[in-house]
Amino acid sequence: MRRAAPGSRVMSDRKLPRLLQTPAVLLLLIWMLIPLGMTLYFSFIRYVLNSLRRPEWTTPSLSNWRGFGNYQFVLNNKDFLFAIQNSLLIVCSILFLTVILGVLIAVLINKAFPGRGIVRVLLISPFFVMPAVNAVLWINMILDPVLGLQGLAVNGINGMIASLQNAPVVGWFFSLWPQLEPISFRATQTSAYAVIIMVTWQWTPFAVLIFMTSLQSEDQQQKEAAVLDGAGLWSQFRFLTLPHLSRPIAIVVMIQAIFHLSLYAEIEIVSRGNGNKNLPYLIGEFANNNIGAASATGIFAVILANIVAIFLLRMIGKTLME
Amino acid sequence: MAIVAETSRFGKLSRPVLAWIVGLLFFFPIFWMILTSFKTDADAVKPEFLLFFTPTLENYLNMTENYDYWRFATNSVITSVFATVFALAVGIPCAYAMAFNPSRSTKDVLMWMLSTKMLPAAAVLYPMTFLTKSLGVFDTHFLIIVVLMLINLPIVIWMLFTYFKEIPKDIIEAGQMDGVSTWGEVKEILIPLAWGGIASTALLCFIFCWNEAYWTVRLTTTEAATLSKLIEGNRAPEGLFFGRLSAVSAAAVGPIIVLGWFCQKQLVQGLTFGAVK
Repeated sequence: MRRAAPGSRVMSDRKLPRLLQTPAVLLLLIWMLIPLGMTLYFSFIRYVLNSLRRPEWTTPSLSNWRGFGNYQFVLNNKDFLFAIQNSLLIVCSILFLTVILGVLIAVLINKAFPGRGIVRVLLISPFFVMPAVNAVLWINMILDPVLGLQGLAVNGINGMIASLQNAPVVGWFFSLWPQLEPISFRATQTSAYAVIIMVTWQWTPFAVLIFMTSLQSEDQQQKEAAVLDGAGLWSQFRFLTLPHLSRPIAIVVMIQAIFHLSLYAEIEIVSRGNGNKNLPYLIGEFANNNIGAASATGIFAVILANIVAIFLLRMIGKTLME
Repeated sequence: MAIVAETSRFGKLSRPVLAWIVGLLFFFPIFWMILTSFKTDADAVKPEFLLFFTPTLENYLNMTENYDYWRFATNSVITSVFATVFALAVGIPCAYAMAFNPSRSTKDVLMWMLSTKMLPAAAVLYPMTFLTKSLGVFDTHFLIIVVLMLINLPIVIWMLFTYFKEIPKDIIEAGQMDGVSTWGEVKEILIPLAWGGIASTALLCFIFCWNEAYWTVRLTTTEAATLSKLIEGNRAPEGLFFGRLSAVSAAAVGPIIVLGWFCQKQLVQGLTFGAVK
């Protein structure tokens, strides 16, 4: 950090910068504290939306104090651990896939070829699709085992194999083939995969964009030198390109982790009531009636988010201020 | 350059072919949606890969009747535009102060801001609904604008910060020597210099606002409902109405995709969050 020039007004005065930051900080503080405070309060009391037996529980009040009862209830709920596992499975899979695909595609389109501009436009498009449309489109029109493209493709392949079985010479070979079964993406586990597929489709362009921009600033002379030294494509990639991309990869992971930990619309649309859930969705389920339990789960989600945040801070905090 | 440009046979032929295949694959779902939107509902659910059919505009013409599209679209435009403007109005001074007068806590403040995005919205949904209803702002444009602004403020400040950091301090200091007021500095020096960065930040903020699908769905009923609400509200029983659903979906994402295409260059710069120098 540089020292201010003598006589410089703003630099010597610390009040003005504070003042300029105040509105943003204050707004975000309110946005964080009020809901968090209410969640914390509700998580320690019995609070349900409907109860015929105990109508006094339907209004939030300190006289319904439950201590850590809601937390215990949540911890004993069989869905809780599953939801955490599933959250992590979904987030980690998406991160893994988008980074791998992102790097590969960025390297692929990093050099000039005919129509590069158009390919870039095509590639970037999924990123602009709203999550609700993304989910509706994929689960109905693409992944549906009967009406979706998946169903059509499976049918087509089965039909082709069936007709080849009657072919002369090679017919016996194809009669060994099994009939393909379309996969239903509405079951608990498969709908998690459906969510991973659709979000990966949407966010790979984001990774590609960032990696592509970064690759353009790669040191070409270094590469030329490596080529002259006889480095193959793989070692160029491994020892020059990949290290160059480490910082952008960190950014991609961080931004995506922030967005995907709170994934909701996709889960809701794809897996309505089939048991596939992440932590936000479990909270939503509790919140249909048991606000106390929903709030306690919310506090657990905040803790999980903080653990991830600390992890991310370690990872990219250093490079941030450079 | 010549050596690096294409060293292998792979590059000459396979690269463009492969790149085109990847590009088309990624675009295909959107293409399929647009194609389906021109089919009649009967054609849309035919169990065959129907590429050639008699196109119909019926789905688009019926959109207003079936879905009241324009009301939702107007709400989306209003809320996204105002939320973006307010986010910039609050974000620019903040990022300015952080970039040119960083203190020891600046890094932590930035990280904290970003961490507010990690709070699970579902946990605070009920308190928020309760609060906004008792304040009488539930289902108003005002509420949605404020919420969208707050959700995107951390990203906006972060992006602006990385842009402002790239502007040489000397230029700002020279302005101070000449006795320009702080407001003058921002208006005469900072904004013109960082115009590209501000534009791409605004663009990304607008896209995120437009696509937001949690609060906009749950804090509205009719008055301030946006296109996300329209899609969410119509998704379930529409299994047999792929044509209609595609049309309304295409109309919901179309404007943003086109906007994105036109502003591709700015967006690419803006998205890097300071990761690329």
